[in-house]
Amino acid sequence: MNNEREKLEKALTVRSEQGLHARVATLVVQAMQKFSCDVTVVKDGVEVNARSVLGLLLLAATEGTKIVVRAQGPDSTKAIEEFSRLIEHEDNTQN
Amino acid sequence: MKTTRKIEDNQATEAPKNEGNQTNLLIRGIAVSGGVGIGQAVVIERITTDISPRRIIKPEEVSSEIERFTNAVGEAADRLKGIKRGINVDHPLSEHRYIFDTQIMLLHDRMFFDATKKAIAAELQNAEWAISDVITKITAAFDTIEDEYLRERARDIYFVGERVLKILMGVRSETKIHQLPPNSIIVSHDLSPADTVQMAKESVIGFAVDMGGKTSHTAIMARSLKIPAVTGLDRMSSLVQTGDTVIVDGSTGVVIVNPDPDTIFRFRERQEVYRKYHQSLLAFGKLPAVTSDGVRTMRITANIELLDEVEIAISHGSEGIGLFRTEYLFLGRRTAPDEEEQYEAYRHVLARHDPNPVTIRTLDVGGDKISYNLNLAHETNPALGLRAIRLCLSRRDLFKTQLRAILRAAVHGYCRLLLPMISCISEIHLAKEVLEEVKDELAAEGKEFRRDVKLGILVEVPSAVTIADMLAREVDFFSIGTNDLIQYALAIDRVNEHVNYLYDTLHPAVLRLIQQVTNVGQAGGVCVSMCGEMAGDPINIPILLGLGLDELSMNALSIPMVKKLIRSVRMDECLDLTHQVFKMQGAQEIRALMEEWIRTRFPRDYFVGHS
Repeated sequence: MNNEREKLEKALTVRSEQGLHARVATLVVQAMQKFSCDVTVVKDGVEVNARSVLGLLLLAATEGTKIVVRAQGPDSTKAIEEFSRLIEHEDNTQN
Repeated sequence: MKTTRKIEDNQATEAPKNEGNQTNLLIRGIAVSGGVGIGQAVVIERITTDISPRRIIKPEEVSSEIERFTNAVGEAADRLKGIKRGINVDHPLSEHRYIFDTQIMLLHDRMFFDATKKAIAAELQNAEWAISDVITKITAAFDTIEDEYLRERARDIYFVGERVLKILMGVRSETKIHQLPPNSIIVSHDLSPADTVQMAKESVIGFAVDMGGKTSHTAIMARSLKIPAVTGLDRMSSLVQTGDTVIVDGSTGVVIVNPDPDTIFRFRERQEVYRKYHQSLLAFGKLPAVTSDGVRTMRITANIELLDEVEIAISHGSEGIGLFRTEYLFLGRRTAPDEEEQYEAYRHVLARHDPNPVTIRTLDVGGDKISYNLNLAHETNPALGLRAIRLCLSRRDLFKTQLRAILRAAVHGYCRLLLPMISCISEIHLAKEVLEEVKDELAAEGKEFRRDVKLGILVEVPSAVTIADMLAREVDFFSIGTNDLIQYALAIDRVNEHVNYLYDTLHPAVLRLIQQVTNVGQAGGVCVSMCGEMAGDPINIPILLGLGLDELSMNALSIPMVKKLIRSVRMDECLDLTHQVFKMQGAQEIRALMEEWIRTRFPRDYFVGHS
């Protein structure tokens, strides 16, 4: 459906209570490993690989932060869908 | 136990080693998990990345060095998986199991794994050196993060790097914590989650750790395990040797090394208080704070700072929040939190306590504490400078954003708005103007908000006490902030060790100031509450009842104890004590009377005279 060369992106707001914290970052990396497309996350002009826990943590995306997820590759639509689900999911965990 | 004995003997004979071994060495840190533990120290040494061997390798060694590194990473991953498998659903720390997933993932994170391989190949560094450099760079990047929780995660990559280093250096990776003597106090510069998970927890009765704050792994896990813990102790771990007797008071954040028998005795009593307090928790926390003769009922609320304290407050029986310090949202970051972020935080607390009141104190910091380009002049005396309401009135943008968030969140519960550091009436007038402006704007935008939020002031500047009658006509409630009021009234900096002996909540001047405020409150129909440490100390409670305070807000952990005391006393004895106290001239005399009263009246319940 979507052109493989086309870069898809979506603006999101981090909804988990302590931001894009270790647990969420771990889930994101685990989830993104299922896809073959390139996925990156951008905050305030800083772009990191969505398959790096350190990169995601260093974005320091606290709750309410606006970020953009970008994907390029065959399954990019699905990757972005999955990413949004994890980031916008309001969890109640404390750590 | 045998080992412990032996180490003590060694210390007795080797004089030079005893230099740092003074009795009753008291170190203050951050109270992160309540209760008192008295036991023998088990010092857990960490290897630091800067002692790892460093050498330049030959170009032909690159591939074997990378292989050495890769193998060590593989071994570290296996070990972490093993630890994770050991945490079954019944494990008291099972909810923290994911930490090991994170650490396993970090081992292969490109910023660590690829960067280290690159350093070996490009810089010809041996693996240990390359790891140390990469870890140092990554942790430095974390240091710049404003959010405390996320900043603390630098420790995760640090522990991961340390694990790989230990494997490479042939150091036994796991510290000897599987078997511990009973009554062990774990003393360490820092504890990794792996250390904590694998510990023989049934033997551990306390943690004393140099690093970390309220959101460190140690803090979070200690709370899960219900083991007393103090963190943020600076260099304490270097002053303690395995076998030393150590007291950890996780409720006040104090660690005492090598206490004398007298101190041990006093803390044993204190421990008993905590134990009893835990027993009476359910019984007293849930009951109203009404005197035994039914004459007076006080509202007992909690002071909170972090959002995760909301649940602690509720489980300890708080009837609302008497002081929500909003600074935590603002500190340690480069830009102020926006309206939505604040709104969510306030809404969460308000909704959780509804229908009980939540008193939200507007930003109470000095310009020196927040760094987002305020362009403030350097202040020689920040305590008397541009701070709290003064800062808010000079930075209307900050103030208005916060007020908007509060008024909108107020829809979700019973909200009271508290203005800090009011010293004259015009500050209230100005604040009200801003408040009206904000309401008009919200109305014009069609936003949902509460117009009738109760407005109060924090009475903490002596001038506010003297003109309390005038201020009472402007607001719905007073909250006496004793920590600052005492500091300003007695001209004592509490953290200055040369003068803090003069700081006494029972100074006659302090009691008179409080009486002045409660008199005005009663005459003008204004509710008077008290927040600050004075409100949570049992020794003051009869006087506070006698003076007619309506509400006390305190550290949640003190609530059951205070409720129990209130439910055990009659109003006539409180009035009688207050009457006697007001005839006395010195704080010491007053304190002696109150201690004696508590000792006779509650011989087993309260531990007094420790400070």
